[in-house]
Amino acid sequence: MIQNMLHMPLFWAMLTIASFTVGQHLYRLLGNTAFLPPILTGIILVSVVLEYTGISFDTYMEGGQYLHLMLGPVVVMLAVPLYQFIHVMKKEWLRISLAITLGSGTTVAVAVAMAHFWIGNDPITITMSTKSVTTPVAVTVSEQLGGVGALASAFVIITGVFGALMIPPLLKSVKLDDPKAMGLTLGVCAHAIGTSRALELGNQQAAYSAMAMTLTATLHAVLLPLVM
Amino acid sequence: MTGLLILLLFLVAGNLLQSQLDSPVPGSIIGMLLLLVFLIFRGRTPESLSQVSKTLSPLLPLFIIPVSVGIVTQKELLADNGVALLVIMAVSIIPGALVCAAIMQAGRRGGDS
Repeated sequence: MIQNMLHMPLFWAMLTIASFTVGQHLYRLLGNTAFLPPILTGIILVSVVLEYTGISFDTYMEGGQYLHLMLGPVVVMLAVPLYQFIHVMKKEWLRISLAITLGSGTTVAVAVAMAHFWIGNDPITITMSTKSVTTPVAVTVSEQLGGVGALASAFVIITGVFGALMIPPLLKSVKLDDPKAMGLTLGVCAHAIGTSRALELGNQQAAYSAMAMTLTATLHAVLLPLVM
Repeated sequence: MTGLLILLLFLVAGNLLQSQLDSPVPGSIIGMLLLLVFLIFRGRTPESLSQVSKTLSPLLPLFIIPVSVGIVTQKELLADNGVALLVIMAVSIIPGALVCAAIMQAGRRGGDS
């Protein structure tokens, strides 16, 4: 009977939702810490179950695809916050555009160069180029470019956790920590996970971080396919 | 429901445009840009769209879990390169963060904020 259930697509869709819900509860329980985002708990729980039951990823995806299908509409939906940020940006658009373009360009260029010369595996290098983009966009762009969607997601999440951990003390130590600079940098380098860290620092930081993350994702989604 | 319909309309339009133009930019991104242009011309966000955005946004991470679980198919790659990848991800944040924050704060240190 258990084997029967393990081959039911709906079971895996249910398990994915259950794992995410557990992740959300854990996240709240730990005081919304940026270091254990619900998505990370969700991925770990589902992977552990797959590993334990010996079910293949393809079988899992027969159920997972129902949720995966929503990725497209959700990416289109990013236009809504983006439109709102356009008003906020008007005052300082040149400074913000430069900070986002050069900041995200630098981190991606360094990561891609390091991956190319150190590991020298093309799919990894390509996938690394999407590491500073919010996950739904990273997965979509990475697959389009010939990278690996699953790796893109892992890179983005790990980058986000590292960024949330490193950026506030780093910027404080060099005194580049005014709220706008801190927020924007968290959004550019650590996307959604950085934004939840920015929320702990203050509202202005969070607003700038959310704006930076959306703008970075859009910029990279358009530029990376043309450059890589 | 109208909100979701708007999203799907722009997604279909984006995918169609992508295949017609043979564009390297993904269809969903083209759809997002089309929707952004639509919103700019319209001057405000339709209520139904804000509604669906409020409902779906918190669920966004859920929709990414399935493809992310694909990491289980990459075990060898991670075993061979895991440490290098972690170092690359940690190190590459530093120059990017410094450039970004320096531009954002240049010329107004201790000034407004």
